[in-house]
Amino acid sequence: MHPIIARRERLIPFMLAWMGVGVLLATHLQASPRLGWGESLILALPWTAVYGFFSLSAWHICRTFPLSGSGTTLRLLGAQVAAALFSSALWIFLGRAWSLLLARDQRLQEIPESYDSQVPLFFGIGVLLYLLAVAVHYLIIAFERSQEAEKRGLELKVLAREAELRNLKMQIDPHFLFNSLNSISALIGSDAARARGMCLRLSEFLRGSLALADRDRIPFSEELALVRSFLAIEQVRFGSRLQVDISADDGVEICLIPPLLLQPLIENAVKHGIGSLLDGGTIVIRASRSEDRFRVTVENPYEPEARRPRSAGVGLENVRRRLAALYGPEGRIEVTRESGRYSVALTLPAPQQEATDAGKRG
Amino acid sequence: MTENELRVVIVDDEEPARAVLREYLSALPGVRIVAECANGFEAVKAAAELKPDVLLLDIQMPKLDGFEVLELIERDIEVVFVTAYDSFAIRAFEVHAADYLLKPFGPERLSQALQRARERACRKDRPHSDLIAAARARKKPVDRVLIREGARVHVIQANDIDYIQAQDDYACIRAKGREHLKQESMATLEDVLDPRQFVRIHRGYILNVDRLARIELYAKDSRLAILKDGAKLPISRSGYARLRPLLR
Repeated sequence: MHPIIARRERLIPFMLAWMGVGVLLATHLQASPRLGWGESLILALPWTAVYGFFSLSAWHICRTFPLSGSGTTLRLLGAQVAAALFSSALWIFLGRAWSLLLARDQRLQEIPESYDSQVPLFFGIGVLLYLLAVAVHYLIIAFERSQEAEKRGLELKVLAREAELRNLKMQIDPHFLFNSLNSISALIGSDAARARGMCLRLSEFLRGSLALADRDRIPFSEELALVRSFLAIEQVRFGSRLQVDISADDGVEICLIPPLLLQPLIENAVKHGIGSLLDGGTIVIRASRSEDRFRVTVENPYEPEARRPRSAGVGLENVRRRLAALYGPEGRIEVTRESGRYSVALTLPAPQQEATDAGKRG
Repeated sequence: MTENELRVVIVDDEEPARAVLREYLSALPGVRIVAECANGFEAVKAAAELKPDVLLLDIQMPKLDGFEVLELIERDIEVVFVTAYDSFAIRAFEVHAADYLLKPFGPERLSQALQRARERACRKDRPHSDLIAAARARKKPVDRVLIREGARVHVIQANDIDYIQAQDDYACIRAKGREHLKQESMATLEDVLDPRQFVRIHRGYILNVDRLARIELYAKDSRLAILKDGAKLPISRSGYARLRPLLR
């Protein structure tokens, strides 16, 4: 689609500029002794308007001979100059026809003669005007191209970021599922009611994590509920080895956080902390907020002499990268290992749950 | 192995996982559970004292993992790994486990694994699983060395080792002022320890380079390594050639 015709905010100034040219030409005609303002304008304005529309055809030639194309500059110049000469000649012919048409009226008898005396000048102006239109078209094409490149660059950036965030969102550890299913398989033989209870908890956890993963931000209370159902399942596996101590200050439940931010930390705490200890221990979760900062810590005992597990760093690294992508320097993660206790603290800006979010969920 | 009766030890740190095995095994004829262990130490102890035919062995456990248990038990005990992780299967194959069960599994699959273990135990031609195979399967140097004294297990961090001295069929490992005997060849230990840290400086010695204080010329072509605690170890000519690149 033609870049000027397609957009009114370009077409109107373009044609106004041509009208300006028409007025200038009329001024010139009027300066000769035989024509008045009225005759000059009636000749010049329609005539230039037609040329204005005609000059829009320069777009097709500009497209055929793009500035960045492989053709030589000479060919490009040749084509444009030839087009300009031809267009101007056509314009002069139209002007002549128009002046003769006007001369049928008795009052406008003088027009053709005045016109004819100015033909060489008009021809020159016609060529220049056409070349000017060509330049305008080239400018618009270049402008559109750079805008499109910028837009595509931005789109790519957004896509890349979305893809990264999607990747970083927790994927459920399949081994957790297999181990849980194995526990259910064990309970079916001995305690069918507990087996059913565990099926329900597992479904609750799966449904919860699937539902949360699709959202941008969730209130901390929902993340905590998911963590609780995860830990309840793991407590069936680990028995008394896994103890949990959760406490959250008043007001933190409504803090908005990215979904499944805490979950990988809890998984690590169970797998590499409790799982590495003969007698297990307690996972301590503390959440607090001060002014505009939300802070949550996950602390667990671990076996310092245990083999460095290969997978331990992945979950933590994902959380780190998500925080960096979402909050930049505002999101912080601190890891400390001290006398057999491993602790991860997350700090992030703490917007309150907004009314719109509650509406969106409905 | 008593006639037709298979003596089995269950090793898993999760009670429900043990319960499944218990339930399935109780339905199988000719199988007896002689012990249930909740961690690797108990497993090594049970293996040493009870001499079972088969170990049903979880892999991810506190302190000692399943592979480390396998490394420490008598070679004629068949091992069936029982785990939720399929990623260890190749390594299990390399250390010659009898079978590899993926949780959750059904009773038929367990019965099949035990049948396989029973057949292998009768053939007695199982190739030796050893530390080298384990390390190769791990594709990186060991960061700790396991030593069994009777039913007891010592875990020595590689970093804590000062040096290792050959003693007949054993290697005497000096760490934290104590000596531990391990039935392993010097060549094997040299192979599995991190070559950037441990060097065979002599036919009879492997040195932790971090402990070296200085080297003294003792005679022509023969040097002494003086350790930070004052101990002196001989360095052979080829040993010095191996050691030198690490000193830069």
